[in-house]
Amino acid sequence: MRITRLLTVLALVVATGQAAVTSSFLLGYRGEPGVESKMLITALADFIPVRYLKADAGLSFNLFQHNGVGAAGLGIGAVLFRPAGLALRLAAQHQQWNDWRAGENRALATIEAGPVFGIEAGFGLIRRVPVFGDGYWSPFTWKSDAEEWNYVYRLTWEFLRKEKLRLKAGLASYDLLSTHNPEQFPLCLSGSYALKDKLDIIADIGTAIVGYSGGLASFHEVELNAGVKHDF
Amino acid sequence: MISRRAALLCLAGLLAFCACKWDLWGIATRKTVEQRVQEDLSGQPPAPGPVQVNPDSFRFAVFGDPQIQHDNVSRLGKFRQEVAARSIDFFCVLGDLTNDATADEVDSIKLDLARVGIPYYATIGNHDMFQADGWERFKENYGPSCYTVVIADRIKLIFLDTADGTIGPTQFDWLESELQDSAHIKIVLTHYPVFDGEKPIMWRLSSPVERAKVQSLLEKYGAYAWCAGHIHGLRHTQVGTVHHLTCGAMAPDKVGLDYGNPGFLLFTFAHDSLSWQFVELH
Repeated sequence: MRITRLLTVLALVVATGQAAVTSSFLLGYRGEPGVESKMLITALADFIPVRYLKADAGLSFNLFQHNGVGAAGLGIGAVLFRPAGLALRLAAQHQQWNDWRAGENRALATIEAGPVFGIEAGFGLIRRVPVFGDGYWSPFTWKSDAEEWNYVYRLTWEFLRKEKLRLKAGLASYDLLSTHNPEQFPLCLSGSYALKDKLDIIADIGTAIVGYSGGLASFHEVELNAGVKHDF
Repeated sequence: MISRRAALLCLAGLLAFCACKWDLWGIATRKTVEQRVQEDLSGQPPAPGPVQVNPDSFRFAVFGDPQIQHDNVSRLGKFRQEVAARSIDFFCVLGDLTNDATADEVDSIKLDLARVGIPYYATIGNHDMFQADGWERFKENYGPSCYTVVIADRIKLIFLDTADGTIGPTQFDWLESELQDSAHIKIVLTHYPVFDGEKPIMWRLSSPVERAKVQSLLEKYGAYAWCAGHIHGLRHTQVGTVHHLTCGAMAPDKVGLDYGNPGFLLFTFAHDSLSWQFVELH
């Protein structure tokens, strides 16, 4: 009953033009030498119910390895200081690797800012809760033998902004569905091209350098995604 | 206009870069873990053989990071006293035998390890690769970086090369095949830890996905423990049925990134069961 009321309110907010919804659908690939090689099917949605709030959600499926649900994420951000885009964001993530009967639940709290001159930044803490064996698939398991704290960060720069084309590059140790460790140095490049009003083609590529904390760096993984984004 | 502080920082950085003994070009063009493991598994040089111990009762020590430097100072002298006092049969060194991998350091640590007076096994750490010929020197002195040894037909020691902070495809396949052995108690010995408590540090095996795969393999095949160095300290985290042990360091003094006192991990096999304890060196 409460959910019905909530959905009704959300529908009214959207209908009255107070809300903005963006959804994306992507096909991708993720490979990590010796670890995994899989195809990704991802759906993402952003929702701005009122001016100072932003919620986002995502769901990703794996194909060819760890078949089935791969990751899910849910986040909400509150804008604290609009001119700098300063926002406090809380998020929960679940990721699972079905072939290994392993999963991980994560809670993130970040402070984010931007875009200012095309630069966006974020910094925060993550609580990782890896789960192995029975119950690895559950997003509700928040106790584990292997829990740990870590920090996350993001620094990106939109270096090209044409009428239809936008390109962004930088470092991002977290997004809606996944989170790297500080032992990894993550690099990303993303872009969008406006096909027509409210419909964009989007793509991203990411990698991570590992071992740099020990002085021996090497490229370790690659992730590619491409798809479409629609604004409602 | 560059501030005075920024200029001083740049100068300090430049001095540190010039003073560094690491061969940066050699590091950049080094053989990767994949290449090293392929050499290891080709059988040249051959893996060390098993030491002779009393099959019903024996003890062995595990430590990492002697990180010997030009001054040739380490805690191996104190360790030698413990070997005699505790009747240790052999020991394992989990990488970072030297600090900068120079020829002098490699010769010094080889001599110091021999002076302990009992057999030992070694695997490689990131510091051992800090010169262009680091890998060649390691191979020449200690043999492969990835190999197994079965002690007294009871315990299988699986030495892994994680000097690059990652395992690599060939070594992952090899690890899985070695873990499938159900006849022995299996212990993985390597440089990088997988799990070691809750604190936010950047010295674990790099990728969280790789760590998930490692843990699932260890559990699936019933490994007893993953023993690692790299983090200079003695730590224990049990994940499922697997003991994750950070086994202490023999580094001469605090080297800035220590997470505890120097020491070693002592395994005792007796009455058909294996137990372990941390031994601090004061």
